[in-house]
Amino acid sequence: MAFCQRGETKYFEILVRRYMEKAFHIALNFTRNTEEAKDLSQDAFLRAFTRIKQFDGRSSFYTWFYRLVVNICLDFTRRKNKIGWESLEATCDGAPERAELTDVSSLPEDVTMAREAKRRADRTLETMPKKQRTAFLLRNHQGLSIADIAKVMKTTEATVRVYLHRAVSALRQSLLEFV
Amino acid sequence: MSERRIALENGCAEFEADLVLYYYGEGQEAERRRVESHLETCRRCVHFMDDLEGLLPRMSKTTELPQNFWDNYYREVVHKLNQEREEISWWRSLIPSFGGWTIPAFGTAVVVVLAVALVFGKGDWSVRSNATQQENIPQEILSDSSRLEFFGSLDLLESLATLENMDGSRRESVEVRSL
Repeated sequence: MAFCQRGETKYFEILVRRYMEKAFHIALNFTRNTEEAKDLSQDAFLRAFTRIKQFDGRSSFYTWFYRLVVNICLDFTRRKNKIGWESLEATCDGAPERAELTDVSSLPEDVTMAREAKRRADRTLETMPKKQRTAFLLRNHQGLSIADIAKVMKTTEATVRVYLHRAVSALRQSLLEFV
Repeated sequence: MSERRIALENGCAEFEADLVLYYYGEGQEAERRRVESHLETCRRCVHFMDDLEGLLPRMSKTTELPQNFWDNYYREVVHKLNQEREEISWWRSLIPSFGGWTIPAFGTAVVVVLAVALVFGKGDWSVRSNATQQENIPQEILSDSSRLEFFGSLDLLESLATLENMDGSRRESVEVRSL
């Protein structure tokens, strides 16, 4: 880390190798678009590189880096939401990047059901408060512990538990008929 | 399905948050044991757990991307990092040549120049406002400044005629009254 803080890219490249898939998938969870996820996650690496001196080592690098990625993604979705919900709908209908709730090996009617379930899940995630969504994505999709999510979101573990419970309840309510 | 919906509505609200944490493997040992013992007796909460186990893992599935995607991704990040490093080193090469004191010295000099300009430059600004007024006068008139006097005298004549008219109408009204 000390070498990275001296601006030596070859050591930073090791971090890129280690975290690129995680960073990309976080961004993909937020954007649901491969190209946008690629741009945002790469942007997160660049920001991490330029701000590496601000990393004080009090938390682990990945917690610090996750926070950067999440903030970039939240900024992006905020800007995108201003453009309009319809364009977002078009993106997720047209780009089957995420395989969540879909299983191509199933029967056609199952595939249709799974697509509908995915659409509903996406919509529920879109409409839920950002903090709930972030907590849910970091726990369910990225497998972060509640303690780490609290560090990433700069909040308490108790608050993360509340966010998580609310997010899961909302998703369960909206997807109950597909269970 | 309807039975499950009823179960959802009448679920054990005090356990739902703990069940979500239990599903994610979070919580203290004592809490987990409390949830386990509750699950042994509560059919509704067992349904709730079944729903979570049916839904949440499917939501976190992500598409496997080919290795060449990651190779390209990595190459792009490294390329951007190198660009970033070059930009940073360009700036850094400038700073030592001038010395660390140059930035505050330059800032102080700018502030001093602005202060001097504000104190002594008031007269100039008033001249500039006259100049802007003159800019509004057409060029063909400005070319012959004597014409300006001519237009000025026209204005004077116009105002004299107005005064005479006013005086005439006043006399008429006096004559009418005397009659």
